Amino acid sequence: MKSYTALIALDLKLALRNRSVIFFNYLFPLIFFFIFGQAMHAERGAAMTIVIAMVLIIGILGNGFFGAGIRAVQEREANILRRYKVTPITPAPLLIASVVTGWILYMPNVILIFTLAHFLYGMPWPQSMLSILIFITLAIIAFRAMGMIIASVVNSMQESQLVVQLIYLPMLFLSGATFPLAMFPPWLLVVTQFVPATYMVTGIQGMLLRNENLITDIQPALALVMTGALGIFIAYKLFRWEKEEKIRNSAKLWLAAVLAPFLLLGFWQIHARTGVAKTKILNRQLARSDTFLIRGARIFVGDGRVIENGSVLVRGGKVAEVFDGPAPEPKKLNAEVVEAAGKTILPGLIDVHVHLGAPGGFYPDMNKYYEDPEKGLRRELAAYLYSGVTTVRSVGDLLDGMLKLRGEVSSGEILGSDLKTCGPLFTAAGGHGTEYFKGLPENVRQRAEAQFLRIPSSADEARQQVDELKKQDADCVKAILESGGGGLVYNRLDTALFDAVAEESHKDSLPLAVHTGDARDVADAVQARADSIEHGSFREKIPDAAFDQMAKQGAFYDPTLSVGEALKDFAAGKTDLLKRSLVQQVGPGDLLQGTEEAMASPEVEARRKAIAQYPVDMAIAADNLKRAYEHRVLLVTGSDAGNPLVIHGPTVQRELELWVKAGIPAAAALQAATANAARLLRQESHVGSIRPGNDADLLLVDGNPLEDITATERISLVVFKGERIDRSELFDQH
Amino acid sequence: MNATAPAISVRGLKKSYGDVHAVKGIDFEIQPGEVFGLLGPNGAGKTTTVEILEGLRARSGGEVSVLGFDPDRQRQQLKDRIGVCLQATNLPEKIRVHEAMQVFASFYTRHVDLARLLQRLQLQEKREAFYSTLSGGQKQRLALALALVNDPQLIFLDEPTTGLDPQVRVEIHTLLEELKREHRTILMTTHYIEEAERLCDRVAIVDEGRIIALDTPAGLQRQSKTSSSIAVACATRFPENLPQWADAVKSELDSTGRILTVHSRRPAVTLVDLVKWIDQHGLELTDVHLKQPSLEDVFIELTGKSLRD
Repeated sequence: MKSYTALIALDLKLALRNRSVIFFNYLFPLIFFFIFGQAMHAERGAAMTIVIAMVLIIGILGNGFFGAGIRAVQEREANILRRYKVTPITPAPLLIASVVTGWILYMPNVILIFTLAHFLYGMPWPQSMLSILIFITLAIIAFRAMGMIIASVVNSMQESQLVVQLIYLPMLFLSGATFPLAMFPPWLLVVTQFVPATYMVTGIQGMLLRNENLITDIQPALALVMTGALGIFIAYKLFRWEKEEKIRNSAKLWLAAVLAPFLLLGFWQIHARTGVAKTKILNRQLARSDTFLIRGARIFVGDGRVIENGSVLVRGGKVAEVFDGPAPEPKKLNAEVVEAAGKTILPGLIDVHVHLGAPGGFYPDMNKYYEDPEKGLRRELAAYLYSGVTTVRSVGDLLDGMLKLRGEVSSGEILGSDLKTCGPLFTAAGGHGTEYFKGLPENVRQRAEAQFLRIPSSADEARQQVDELKKQDADCVKAILESGGGGLVYNRLDTALFDAVAEESHKDSLPLAVHTGDARDVADAVQARADSIEHGSFREKIPDAAFDQMAKQGAFYDPTLSVGEALKDFAAGKTDLLKRSLVQQVGPGDLLQGTEEAMASPEVEARRKAIAQYPVDMAIAADNLKRAYEHRVLLVTGSDAGNPLVIHGPTVQRELELWVKAGIPAAAALQAATANAARLLRQESHVGSIRPGNDADLLLVDGNPLEDITATERISLVVFKGERIDRSELFDQH
Repeated sequence: MNATAPAISVRGLKKSYGDVHAVKGIDFEIQPGEVFGLLGPNGAGKTTTVEILEGLRARSGGEVSVLGFDPDRQRQQLKDRIGVCLQATNLPEKIRVHEAMQVFASFYTRHVDLARLLQRLQLQEKREAFYSTLSGGQKQRLALALALVNDPQLIFLDEPTTGLDPQVRVEIHTLLEELKREHRTILMTTHYIEEAERLCDRVAIVDEGRIIALDTPAGLQRQSKTSSSIAVACATRFPENLPQWADAVKSELDSTGRILTVHSRRPAVTLVDLVKWIDQHGLELTDVHLKQPSLEDVFIELTGKSLRD
């Protein structure tokens, strides 16, 4: 034992007397720390966590490969180890002393860097500091063990330099330690999962940014432990005291054995992809941690208030402060400035009625679209985000697909608008909603219907189905009350069953959205205390009494004028809606082109004729909306996107334009699209208004939409959870 | 190990590296307190033999016992008990003399008083010095100090003075003589004849992996076929006709006629006769020189090669 302590004491003294050890262990990381810190504006947010991860990893790699690896070769080449060989010690005290010394020398540096980050850059002390320190300790042991294995398998100083560079450089560049992984194409991200240093970078960043700990990062932690243990064992077995003892080339394969835990982890990741996803999430989180001040704009708060000249401070993904009048110096706030004179800041818009499972038009080859439906869904959410519609609610889609997609956008793995979903819709056999699956092969139809429809045959079953959705974590319940009109006839959901659905939804605290076709449907829905009336009616005047009742109950009215307009256009063969500027921007191009072509084709003509049977009178719809407004019913904006000609993306803008045309004041319309919609979604504590603590989901537009509602289409900037969205890059991620 | 058992016993020792046979069957014994020299040219197998005895290399064949241990199987115990001074070893540049002593002392189950050991090797003034600042002699003294740190009864010295200047060599020799007086057993290799003559009780001459002669230095000289010679110089020329002195083999005059060399089997007898003759002829004797065959002569005679090629 005394030989261990004596060697540790000696190694420490020798290291402290060596200028290059001091330089590489302390000065070098500090230089990087300050350079990265300045370059990445670490004072503005979580960029500091990248800086820290980079600096620590560069240090750990250097400590392992140069500190342990190359030094061991030097000692052998200089015949120092040869002198130890004639003493009664085994390689164990030499190896252990090297690991312990490396750790003792490195840890003060870790503390120093966290201290500097805290006091100079205002980074909060990490909550999982103990996990971080243990994780770094494991990393030092593992990388020093790797260094020692390299020392064991190389035959000369030159060879060691070569092997170290061959391993060190890829680890430096492929781990995210020097280039952010966000810059990597997907195939390279897979490669990074084989690089041990990647797990250090994502592990440390995860612990800093997401308060992960050793338990959540158990995989990389175990891999580090295995590499460390295996490395020390093999270094012991292959230890050479003298340069004259050469090693067989085949023994160099031991190096691969040490990397085996990470090789396995890499292959596991190819299968599981949690590592790649985590990388994307971390990058998202970083992008959302910025601090900036949007200055000198008109602010539409969402709840009806307007600040004529104000500023919004965004920090760490949230609205930090709203200033009425002049804002403090941005420097004092550590914030970057976004000048917004002449512009208006709105809360991100909300569309409470979409169907993501339908594209809103016709692809030239629909089979191709259905081949990879997930890709299409992700693109649709990107299109919404592009258009400043930062939250959408799906009211009738395949349940599992929606839940998965909701998870992906909410974690930040993919970038797209936030999604709320009711999943399937409750309807009757032969009711509205069942018609979409008629043409499908039997087995496909059954699977799709199980995901899309709930057709209860008893009140008990209805309740059970609602409870089931609650358990699966749906956000709302969608029911259909529709008996059709014109030549189109639907079976209407039995009132008793509908009432059971409604009751159970209320009991489960799920907002109930009810599709209505005529006044009776509305009356029944209001009677059952529906939370939102979807569509109202395009063909019948809704009695004032119903609106009064709604106002009294706090029910929301979602007129979906967009789909009415689109149905009329579709029946008439008009494609003007596809030519709107934002629609053209979000595309996709082949969908727009395919739709234009389909509108002129005989196959679609049959469908157009069928749809034309459904009576839509925009004047009645507009009048219903106007009177709902006059009767102080809470209004919300929904578009029914996914229906032909209602392309996913800038839906709310068109809806707002139709409302203003119908005589609704712009301010009321905008409030419907923001604060009201957030209330319907029960998300008003996060979104829908610009106030401190809310998510920084913001839409910055040129001009004043209160005077000209089309200003909502002139998008200057979209902020989503604190990230200034690079809109031109949005569609490249898929 | 009892008192009469040899410190080292080697029988039929062989070592091969693939097809190369470095040691081809060596036998010898070293008694406690003996200083034993292995003399031979480079590549003779000296160092290999010593390293096998130190437990650094495994042997290919034969039986070896060092302090009663088998160096192959009881490596750590053996290393704990012996002192070794290797050729061409180094210490870290920035290690201080006393730190080196401490760290090496920590490797052994027992160690001597380090301050006294440093004093004895005249290193106490250098105790704070970095290894890199020591002179060649100081480094070698430190190497000896490290070899003595565990108070070993058996010391291996592999070419302890190679590469040192003559003055330092004398210093080291003095130290080794001290160790000899302390009755420590020493096995040393060298290719300095004087060293072997001065320090060793017995010398084994090794060549091409075999011991070709083993005796005391004087015994080896006696074994030599070469005779001794007496050289006398006079102020005047010697007469042309020289007599046959007692036990003389042959005599010859140099070109000046003033230096006479007489070869003899028994130089002591011949010398008396020769001096008497010079005196009788009234020659003025200016110098007398007795030359005996050296280990080097013996070595060259036995191996046909010089020691230092």
